[in-house]
Amino acid sequence: MDDCDSLMRRVANGDRSALAAIFDLEAARLVAIAKRIVRRRELAEDVVQEAFVTIWRKAALFDHERGAARAWMTTIVRHRALNLIRDGSRLDFHDADQLATLGDRAADADAAYADLPETEDLKRCLDQLEPERRRSIVMAYVVGFSHGEIAAHLGAPVGTVKAWIRRGVASLKECLS
Amino acid sequence: MTSQELIMRAGDYVLGLMDEADRARAERDMTIDPEFREAVWSLAQRLEVLDRSAPFEPVSDTLWSRIEAATAGTSQQTRLELVQSDMAASGTPLTAPDRHGVLGLRRPMSGFFRGARGTALAATMLAACALGYVVGQASVTARDPEVVVVLLNEEDVPGALVEAYGDDRVRILPLTDFDVPAGKVLEVWTLYDAAVGPVSLGTMSSSREAVLSGPDLPTPRPDQLYEITLEDAPRSPAGRPLGPILVKGLAVSPPR
Repeated sequence: MDDCDSLMRRVANGDRSALAAIFDLEAARLVAIAKRIVRRRELAEDVVQEAFVTIWRKAALFDHERGAARAWMTTIVRHRALNLIRDGSRLDFHDADQLATLGDRAADADAAYADLPETEDLKRCLDQLEPERRRSIVMAYVVGFSHGEIAAHLGAPVGTVKAWIRRGVASLKECLS
Repeated sequence: MTSQELIMRAGDYVLGLMDEADRARAERDMTIDPEFREAVWSLAQRLEVLDRSAPFEPVSDTLWSRIEAATAGTSQQTRLELVQSDMAASGTPLTAPDRHGVLGLRRPMSGFFRGARGTALAATMLAACALGYVVGQASVTARDPEVVVVLLNEEDVPGALVEAYGDDRVRILPLTDFDVPAGKVLEVWTLYDAAVGPVSLGTMSSSREAVLSGPDLPTPRPDQLYEITLEDAPRSPAGRPLGPILVKGLAVSPPR
């Protein structure tokens, strides 16, 4: 059990100092994750703020989920960030900006994959996927592309992208286990 | 749902490709389906490696004080409240009957539902609500339980959810924190035949989800009684319940 898991159990018992300790350990990482999705640092910090309120409120649920505190927090932050960009009303991009942003985001996703150390199982298993399945999964995870955005970027029908991702995830899981 | 489908669904959840409604259903199923929960967290932990390349972001000095201020006015929710809100968000509310919700009754009538018969009826009504998760399109696991039971306490508040399988396994999901003092255990019982009397299915040392591999018994049937009592560790020496009954309920079979 890592630090975060034991701290989260304390948070579940109402310990605010444990929440502060988690913040010190994890905030920079979580802001970075959110920023890759929402693109702007002040928005990323808003996301992390809201996520910490959720973590505080729902910590009892974590305790039930046995030892995945970091993954749990990451998931809350990513879903919060995705709500923000899919809601869209707070982003106010013009069309041209949006196209450029789509390209920038895809490049970020490709870079995240390229940066994976060769020694990581995830790298080895992603390497085994067909390129379009791999790129779809990485774009969805790293920069929060929707099915539609992936389809637009790769020039494929949305239904095809959905199938790529689902089959890709199944192969990935098999390779990783 | 095959394990392949379960993994693909976990993938859509972790990657953030679900709409609000599907996400709410997935989170409800994570509360009650350990297999799905495990699929989600194992994938999420694997994909975390991709986060490491995110460029380091300095955090504003004010962020923690903003969080501190926001959480100061926010109270924490209990497990039971969270499970209930997960259920409600996904369209399968799990509400204690005999109050205002499921039966839609006002107080004066509620006495009718008290006592053994009342509990049985209440449990059946509750189980019918809870069944959504068992039969819901996306969440049927490879092997469905024969019966599902919502165990209620004396006030008819749900305290545990039980799924009993044809191979004698019993899955218990506590919905409340039972107080288990040192030297005591929670013992789970069923009454499948009044002539035989209550049979122990196993014990639990704390109010955590557990799967018990019970003794070889006939296939669980609707209306079979299940209950949890507090006994001296390691188990009731008499082989029948001696301690107080914490929760009890009657089984219903999920529609297929």
